[in-house]
Amino acid sequence: MKNYISILVIAFLIISCNSKIKDSESKIKIENGTEIIEQNTIIEEKKTNYIPENKVKANSNNEKILGSWIGYFKEDTKDSYTEKAIYADEGFYWNRENKINISIDKITDSLIIGHSVVAGNNRPFAGQLLNGVFHVKEPGDDKYDGEFKFTITENKLIGKWTAYKNIDIKNRKYELIKKVFAYNPDIMLEQVKEYVDWNNFTEEKTLEEYEEGEFEEWITKEFATATKLIYTINASNTLLKKNDVENLKKGDLTIIRNTIYTRHGYSFKNRPLRVFFDAQSWYIPVHTDVKSEFTEIEKENIKLLLRYEKNAIEYYDYFGRG
Amino acid sequence: MKLKLNRFFFLKAILYGSLVYFIYLLVLITIQYIPINYKIAFLNLKQEEIKLAYYKLAFFSHVYSSIIIISLGLTQFSKTIRNRFSSIHKISGKVYILLILLVASPSGLIMSYHANGGLISQISFLTLSILWFVFTLSAYTSIKKRSFKKHRNFMIRSYALTLSAISLRLFKYGIVSVFELPPMDTYKIVSVLGWTINLGIAEIIIRKTTHKNMYN
Repeated sequence: MKNYISILVIAFLIISCNSKIKDSESKIKIENGTEIIEQNTIIEEKKTNYIPENKVKANSNNEKILGSWIGYFKEDTKDSYTEKAIYADEGFYWNRENKINISIDKITDSLIIGHSVVAGNNRPFAGQLLNGVFHVKEPGDDKYDGEFKFTITENKLIGKWTAYKNIDIKNRKYELIKKVFAYNPDIMLEQVKEYVDWNNFTEEKTLEEYEEGEFEEWITKEFATATKLIYTINASNTLLKKNDVENLKKGDLTIIRNTIYTRHGYSFKNRPLRVFFDAQSWYIPVHTDVKSEFTEIEKENIKLLLRYEKNAIEYYDYFGRG
Repeated sequence: MKLKLNRFFFLKAILYGSLVYFIYLLVLITIQYIPINYKIAFLNLKQEEIKLAYYKLAFFSHVYSSIIIISLGLTQFSKTIRNRFSSIHKISGKVYILLILLVASPSGLIMSYHANGGLISQISFLTLSILWFVFTLSAYTSIKKRSFKKHRNFMIRSYALTLSAISLRLFKYGIVSVFELPPMDTYKIVSVLGWTINLGIAEIIIRKTTHKNMYN
């Protein structure tokens, strides 16, 4: 009997130990707008959609309208629920709403010029004000371009958007309030929403006995997430040391690194990250490229965090030791 | 009697089979460092240390020598090889001892000073490398005195510590899969359990087999 147990134990160890020593397939996806530029490369003149304020001949009325309007860009459906919603963990779902920044940059007698930043997309628009309603159009050379119609009343920008093309969610609505973006390295995450990476989970199969001798297979999914430590570590105002990061799990490292981008107003393409950061009240999507914005502290921290993230992905649950 | 013999062979086959399998995994780990690469695996977390020339030397000599040592040790406990091919036993035994005493243990000692995980793992790896040296040296001096039993016991201890390369990683894998502990907490735990449990098992084996007076 003892022999059989030891055989089983050894067999289990052999089977459960993945034939590979590390996970060489998973890679950290670094979005284009967040790569670190090494100092010896020439930084291209930053493209900006902002018109310096003193150049705009503002009358008091325009002053109220010009600037960034922030809020959620929601699916516009007749039903109260969204068919395209994503359900992941218990109590976690995403109705496909994204935080949008509609920025009105310039108003002349006949023309309104601006841009919108949402879901990692920065698109210009232009149009007119007709009978108190703003009609502005995106160029149309992007799959996700469309037309905005909104009104501005009592410090609120309210309206709808329709895509030109037949995309997944063709109609959107929004109710935005005006906010001013300012980079603040000291700002911390608020505990408002869990980070759930629904693309990254492990499945566990268990057998439940529901009748005498009869079993049913249950599959529980466990999603990659983060711990409370993300609310205590700031990688924008503190130069992190090895000791600060070496005991962090992958999810924490990812969030701490991406919070740097969030502070700079980066608009995320990655959906789980976007959903998590959109929930932060102070977060305003302003740029789709923050490469040239990082401080020296942030650059060093990003490099350090990436090194540990890479190691966590490759080795954390593998035989190999990083 | 026949049944007992079969079962014994079966167990032996499984034991050697799994050892070969895990040594194969260690070979895969070692291959990552060929050609010399400072930006891979374990070294990704050792960027400060790898700038030091003595650490570089210690790390690579430890990695390359250890894979030879653990493979050489595999055949040394086989009665068949000891009796029928004693020259093989002697030659690979000498290489095993020399590599540990001159290369793997001293380099391990240097690396233990820089171990990840702070004081606990530093002390643990320091003790490991010293005991590894002492047991291997004792095995050598005892065979020079033709004290076979002592030689055998110290070699069991020495190889138990050699195998910590495997057990440490297995414990890590187990702890992470079951408890999902953070990486450095896991590392501190396995830095201690990785070799102490092996040594415990070695002592049990030594005690259980000594009374048989196989050699004296």
